[in-house]
Amino acid sequence: MPLRVRLTLWYGTALALILIIFSTVLYFVTARSLRDAVDESLEETAAAAVRSLEERGFLPLVNEDELMSQFPELARIDKFFQIFSPSGTITIRSPNVKQHEMPLSPKALEVALAGRTLLEFAKYPKEPPLRLISVPIIFRGSLLYIIQVGTSMDSVEATLNRLLLVLLVSVPIALAVSLAGGWFMAGRALRPVDAITLAAQRIAGGDLTQRLTVPASADEIGRLTKTFNGMIDRLETSFRQIRQFSSDASHELRTPLTVMKGETELALRRPRATDDYKIVLESNLEEIDRMTRIVDELLFLSRTDMGEVKMERQPVPLDSLIEDLHRQASLLGHERDIQVVLRATAPAAVLGDELRLRELFLNLLDNAVKYSHPGGTVEIALTIEHTQAQVTVTDRGIGIAQEDQSRIFDRFYRTDNARTHTKKGTGLGLAICAWIVESHGGQLKVQSKVGEGSSFTVKLPLAPAAAKRPLTPS
Amino acid sequence: MRILVIEDETKVGCFIKRALEEESYAVDLCEDGARGLQIALITNYDLLIVDLMLPSLPGLEILKGVRQAKVQTPILILTAQSQVDQRVKGLDAGADDYLTKPFAIDELLARIRALLRRGSTESPGVLQIDDLALNPATREVTRSGQRIDLTLKEYALLEYLMRHTGRVLTRPMISEHVWNQDFDTFTNVIDVYVNYLRNKIDRGRSKKLIHTIRGSGYMLKAD
Repeated sequence: MPLRVRLTLWYGTALALILIIFSTVLYFVTARSLRDAVDESLEETAAAAVRSLEERGFLPLVNEDELMSQFPELARIDKFFQIFSPSGTITIRSPNVKQHEMPLSPKALEVALAGRTLLEFAKYPKEPPLRLISVPIIFRGSLLYIIQVGTSMDSVEATLNRLLLVLLVSVPIALAVSLAGGWFMAGRALRPVDAITLAAQRIAGGDLTQRLTVPASADEIGRLTKTFNGMIDRLETSFRQIRQFSSDASHELRTPLTVMKGETELALRRPRATDDYKIVLESNLEEIDRMTRIVDELLFLSRTDMGEVKMERQPVPLDSLIEDLHRQASLLGHERDIQVVLRATAPAAVLGDELRLRELFLNLLDNAVKYSHPGGTVEIALTIEHTQAQVTVTDRGIGIAQEDQSRIFDRFYRTDNARTHTKKGTGLGLAICAWIVESHGGQLKVQSKVGEGSSFTVKLPLAPAAAKRPLTPS
Repeated sequence: MRILVIEDETKVGCFIKRALEEESYAVDLCEDGARGLQIALITNYDLLIVDLMLPSLPGLEILKGVRQAKVQTPILILTAQSQVDQRVKGLDAGADDYLTKPFAIDELLARIRALLRRGSTESPGVLQIDDLALNPATREVTRSGQRIDLTLKEYALLEYLMRHTGRVLTRPMISEHVWNQDFDTFTNVIDVYVNYLRNKIDRGRSKKLIHTIRGSGYMLKAD
């Protein structure tokens, strides 16, 4: 059921309940107060009659005329008057009681004999009910007669019937009008929701540039709209990143493919010397290796994105790892006449995955060697700062421009300088380094100046003292 | 026909250069965008091949620079991106055609032939003067239906002459369009090659097509 219908129904049900309760209470309170007014008037008339009789010394009245002159208030047509003997028979009555015999009810007689006043209803067929008050006149301990004053409930009943009719007609009308108003209001209140739905459909259709117009009011809809727009902003950004990433990835893969296709086609265009074929095959092998490296690294990164890469958390003696890597890097540097120097070392253990940490530092050292000028120096230093181990790899190579420094950890980002300097990189190494450092709870920072060299600093939290260093058999 | 290739991927640039040279084009290769633009502006090339992703100066800027200098040389762009908008931007910036990497060498050569043809007023597939015919697609040269075998340089020289029949071609013009930048202008290599051509085309025939214009250069004409 649509929200609009549901809202209207809830609202209508609540309103109907309120109207019914209100009408019922109104009806009964009105009926009660009207009847009370009748009773009061009857009591007053009866009391006046009793007072008049008292003044006359309670002499019996003989005829109607005498009665009427005695009690002028009885001339009012809305009341009638009867006097009964103590035995209950009528002795005299006002002229407006004509059509019916209205004997004293046994209950009234009984009450009168007991010396009390009684208010009662009397009902005759095809007539509105009558309200009667019977007052005993007692003189010197004995019941002289019973005065009965009556009035028709006609006007009270008519008023009540009219009231009932008004209520029965106006309540459903009021309800219907309110329901229509409620339906309209619900529609109005829900219109922004419809707008959001439409926009969401367009966005789901692929148009991420769509935004909702934020209403001026800071109500629920305004907040929803802002939240929604914020969500689309983030979606758009991540979609853009993904597009950028896949375009970068396809570019990086296309270049080796172009080389392989071009060189192979060229070689096949005419018969060549064996050495020519050999050169092409060797070159193709290089490109295949490059593509394999890109694909491997991409696969690794996408597995880290999915959270599928498991990390060991073992104590790793960082100092011996660095010393070992220093030896490896020295061999790398030797090929390019670059000296790798271990500047400082300190006993330090961190919790982590030794293989990954090895990969991290080897990557940084390899970069340092790659981007150094022949004859240059690369420095490694392991120091302890408070609760962190700090490894710094410094080169005096080509350096990284200020504007590139924030982006070198992005996947496939390679500075123009790096591209010109070495064709071998995949553009993924530093992204992997950044991930390794991050998953060890550390920080990776770069300081660099174009033409002067770069310095990469890795900070890793030291292992708790208890796990400091695995015992080595002496 | 002399072509400048601006491409930063060394291997890609090298095989393009080699493939074009085997088709008798004179080729210069430049790996840097800014320098490439400089060279393109000072040398009278017949065609530019420009990679859109270059260090120091993006390919698009080279296109704009070349066209701003009112150089009308046809330009073929190479792009690794498969995105349409990159190609559209390239074509709008003044490129005449594009190729997406990786590409087939045959397609590259065919597009180059098409672009070079576009420059001349009459653009037949086969160049013809009197009974001498040259087909750029097959690189077949015939005179009176008789096949003539030419070396790469001889062919390049003849193609250049045939594309400019009836006009005096000076030695600097010939060296600029037939040889690449490694050519040493202070030699008589041009005269040597013109003689080779004469031997193969005009020798033993009553009607000579290659004429020497004393003091200025050479001309190819039928009368």
